[in-house]
Order: sequence, then C-alpha cells, then structure tokens
Amino acid sequence: MLIVSTGTCANANDEKSGMTRRQQGILTGMPFMTHVSAKAYVDDAGRRMYFAKPPSRIVSLAPSITEMLFSMEAGEQLVGVTDFCDYPPEALKKPKVGYSNPNLESLVALQPDLVIAPNDFLKPDVIVKLEQLKIPVFILADQNVEGIFVHIQTLGRIVGRSSKADTIAMQLRQQVAVIQRRIQGSVPVRMLYVLNSQPLITVGPGSFIDQLIRMAGGTNVAAKSATPYPRLSMEAVLQEDPEVLVFPVGKAEGISESEQQTWRQWTTMTAVKQGRLHQISADWLNRPGPRIARGLDALAEILHPNSSSGSRAEQ
Amino acid sequence: MTDLASSWANAGAVLTVHRWMAVIGGLLLASVAILVLCLQFGATSVDVKTVATAIMHMLRADQEGAATLGTSEIIMVQIRFPRVLMGFFVGAGLAAVGVTLQALLRNPLADPYVLGVSSGSALGVSLAILFGIGSTFMLLPILPLFGFAGGLLALLLIYRLAQSKSRLPIHSLLLAGVILNAILTAFIMFITSILEPNRSAGLMAWLMGSLTAPNYPALGMFLLYVLCVLVMLMHKAQSLNMLTLGEETARSLGVETEGIKKWLFVLTALLTGAIVSVSGMIGFVGMVVPHAVRSVIGSDHRLLLPASALVGGMFLAVADTIARTIMAPAEIPVGIVTALTGGPFFLYLLLWRKDRMV
Repeated sequence: MLIVSTGTCANANDEKSGMTRRQQGILTGMPFMTHVSAKAYVDDAGRRMYFAKPPSRIVSLAPSITEMLFSMEAGEQLVGVTDFCDYPPEALKKPKVGYSNPNLESLVALQPDLVIAPNDFLKPDVIVKLEQLKIPVFILADQNVEGIFVHIQTLGRIVGRSSKADTIAMQLRQQVAVIQRRIQGSVPVRMLYVLNSQPLITVGPGSFIDQLIRMAGGTNVAAKSATPYPRLSMEAVLQEDPEVLVFPVGKAEGISESEQQTWRQWTTMTAVKQGRLHQISADWLNRPGPRIARGLDALAEILHPNSSSGSRAEQ
Repeated sequence: MTDLASSWANAGAVLTVHRWMAVIGGLLLASVAILVLCLQFGATSVDVKTVATAIMHMLRADQEGAATLGTSEIIMVQIRFPRVLMGFFVGAGLAAVGVTLQALLRNPLADPYVLGVSSGSALGVSLAILFGIGSTFMLLPILPLFGFAGGLLALLLIYRLAQSKSRLPIHSLLLAGVILNAILTAFIMFITSILEPNRSAGLMAWLMGSLTAPNYPALGMFLLYVLCVLVMLMHKAQSLNMLTLGEETARSLGVETEGIKKWLFVLTALLTGAIVSVSGMIGFVGMVVPHAVRSVIGSDHRLLLPASALVGGMFLAVADTIARTIMAPAEIPVGIVTALTGGPFFLYLLLWRKDRMV
C-alpha cells in the first residue's frame, strides 16, 4: 500500500530531513522534489519559488484553495479570499477580493506575501500584473483527484503545516480507496449530470466531474461528446437512456426542485421509470478541495445504494 | 438609402394573382419538403419508417398509443418534430419582422433586434435566472413568460420615449431603440458578471440563441400567436409598399401613416418579444433573408412578406439541423450557424450588386 506509507513516513519524521523529502517526492509522484532545496517549490505552471519562511499573508483565489488552507488549520495565515469562498463558515469573515477578475487594488492593499491561484477561469493578465508587482503567485492546476491530495501536501509544506496536511491527504486517499473497494465489481450505472437544463448542459470527457463519475462507478451518458462541458442533445440523452439523473444543488447554483420535476415528462427513461432523480451538493463535486472524498462518497451512494449499505454494515 | 429605394422600385415586377400563387405555392411545397428532410437528421439516426409511424401516432394523438412508443418514436414525437416546427416558425417570424422593419424604418440594416425589444426580453429571462425562477406555470415554461413580459415593458418604454405630440417619428424610434438596447444589454452583462459561474454559463448559452423542444401546449400557443401576427402584418402589406416611398408620399396617397406606423411597430415588437422569449437571440435571419428574397422576387410586400417568412422558416430549420447534428451528441448554438452562413451570403449579395451596378 503505497498510499499509507506516504502518510506514515511524513508523520513519523521531521519533514526537513532530506531523506524523508526524497521519499515523499518519489512516493507522491513528484520526483522533481528530490533535487530542489527544502524551501523551494515548483508550481503547476513550472515556475520555481523560494520561501525563506512560511508566508503569513496569503490570498486564495479559489474556493477549493481556501478550503484546503482551512483544513490544514492555516486559516490564520489567510488574509483574502474570493467572493465565492463560503466554506468553512470562518472563510466568510475574510476580506473578499472578487473572483475570476479579482479587484487588484483590494488584493494589493491586503499586502499578501503569497497569492495561490487556480490556473483556469482566472483572467490571464491578473497573474502577469501580480508578477509585475513582485507578489509571488503559486498556481495550482486541477488534473485529477490524486492531484488534489498532492496539492494539499504541497500547500502544507509551503505554509508550514506539512504534518497536518499529510495526515489529511492520507485520510482522503484512504476514504477514496474505501469507496473504490465498495463499488468494485458493480456494473457501471449510466448517469446524466445536469448542469443546466434550459438549454441542457452537462459534463463531458476532460471535465473533472466526468472523472469523478467514473471513479464512483458510473458511466457518463455524455461520454461521446467532444467537449468538457457540452450542450448535450436531448435526443442523445433519450438514446443513451440514463439510469440515474443527478442534479447539483447549492445556495447560489443548481437546478430548482420544480425544474427537476420537468424531467419526469420523459417517461421512457429508465431513471424516471425507477424514480432515480437525485440531488448532490454542487460544492462537493465542483471544488477540487478536501471535501472531494465526501462528494465522491455521495455520488457512489447514489449510483450504488445497495453495495454501500452492505459494506457499511460490515465495518 | 437611395440605392435601396431604386432597387426596390425596379425589382417590383407587376404582381398578379397568378404570380403570387405560383411563388407562395412553390415555397410552401419547398417548406414541407425541407421540414420532412430536417426530421431525418439528428443526434440519433431514425429511419424514414419510424418518422412515418411517429407522424401517424401524432396525427391520431392517442394517449394510450403514446405509452407503447419506443425510444426512437419518443425522440421523433417529443423532441425532434416540435423543435423543427418551432425552428421554422421562429425563422418565419424573424424574417417577417425584418421585412416589416426594413420598410417601416426605411433602413436596410433594420432587423428584429434593432428596436431594443429583444434586449427587454433577454433581460426578463436574465432576471428570472438570477432569482432562480425556472419551472412551468400552467404547462407553459416560465422563462419565456418572463422574456415576453420584459419585451412588452421595453416596447412600452420605447414607444413613450419615441412618441412626440402623438406622432411617432422614425428617427427617434430608431434612436430610442438603439440606446435602450445598449442600456438593457449593460444590465444583462451586469447580471452575467454577478451570477455564480455555472449559472452565468447557462444564461450565456441561452442568450446565444438556442431552440429547445417545447411541449405541445406551449408549441401550439406559439404557433397560433405567430400565425395571427403574420396575418395581421400581411393585412398591412399594401401600406408597407406606400411607406417605402416615403411618409410624405404615403400620406399624399391617402395612407393614414401615423396609425399604420404605430400598429406595425406594436405588431413587430409583439412578435419579436415572443420569438426572443422562446429562442434567445438568433441573428442574421431577420436581416439577410428579406434582402435575399427581395433581390429575387422584387419588393412588393404583398408577396415579399409571406415569401420571406417561408424562406426564413426554411433557413432556420436547416440551420438548426446543422446546429443539432454537426457536433453530435453535443449541440452548438444555432445563432452561430445563422451568422456563419448568413453573414458571408450577405457579403456576397453586396458584392454581386456592386458589380451589377458598375
């Protein structure tokens, strides 16, 4: 079990020891860490950064990054968040800097010594401008679920909370492994994830949620589409005949109860026949942060309700 | 403007009942053929036999029969047929509004979106999405109702702004429309910028223009509405002919211009509001189709208006079929297809006419 060993060696040893760092680097799939010094980091845009001491004034430019920092108890070091950072509730008390087009003046006024930014949905010139202002920007690119756990560990080392971060990453990996064991051998369930119903927009190959669907033991009915967020043809949906419809819901997003009911007009659809219309908290799946295991668990529960209750009884 | 007027004057061959019947009859046949053709194509392939049985089922309209239908029949009856029909009527309405406004405003660039009614509709829908309203009310989808209400409010506003001393001067109508359009668009942009990203993507997708399969009560109401307004526009076709000669001339020929103008403005706005509320912003149909049809059959509005409506319907039905199938199983907004085919065609017409004039 490679997964567990990563966590244990990080827990047992002081992270500053070179030997442990090398092990961690190899085990977490980041071999470049074996030859960089203890406090130098390479972000997902390939830029090398050096921190003499853990940054104490951090601005997070994504809700998932905010959640990661709070989960490793680095909330104190966070001085600015986005308008959409609402979890944990403490995040709501932090100063806001906007979202995809953050207000640079209020961002700079917070005097950050580190900005942690996602590589997508941020206006490209924001990063250029911050670099001109000599504010270090650490970029995280979302690739896959394992990437989230690696990000948590990397951020943990940057902010000086590496043992806590490693523990969290290990727990999350274990949770994912448990979910995957639970659904092992189950027949994949055809499902449709309804991002928007007028017009119908869903997730396709290349999107993060499409990957979660496969991990949770589902088959995305939009798997044949060429784009990550396709406007799917209703004809194709009926042809592929989903067994489960999943509606993301949340405070500020998602599809209203009554709009979900309009899906019941498609009486030939297996999902409608069997009454398998489900809601899921959009934040759990949309945000590549520490709540992803919870999202995956909820999705697996929706897709494979029987296997889940069975394995729970065993535990 | 003068070159438009002259081209209208010389293209207007004598309109006889025979010619009218021949052109409209031919276009009607072509429309039916195009509609049947469009039904053949979709994200899923359905063979001709299924199309036939599905149409038979629909004509019989037996509820018990509907329960036994297979997936292909359901796709045909519940999705593709209403959508193709909807596309045809949206296209017909857009082209008819285009013809009317080009004559009424004596401006070749006029299209259904020039008067700001469409932005009013779009703002109505944006507000509905912003407040998370979205469902059906008495079998009718809520979003179109909001769109329609927004369009009506914009219509009243433009009317009040443009009216001076109980007259409706063309230039102030155009100006009020353009400015109101800009203001309403700014509101829509504002709503898009404050919406949660997922939902603003949904709103943008709607604004880009898309046809969805309506349920039959909604489709029936829409078709009836469009047909009624088209008939009323047809009724004023002769007055449109007079108006293109200039208001003074029209008045001297005994046309009660103020009343006619107001009536035509209200009719076009009502039609635009309804169209935008069901389909979003689909560009170029309202502008290109009237010009193309006019260059072939002349500018007598008694023929031009129904002919443009039929051609517009066919154009949009075909464009939507392309939008539905080109990236199947995904769809692209139909507005992209109309702009990419209509735009170059319009430029071609422009060049062709320039060559002819030299």
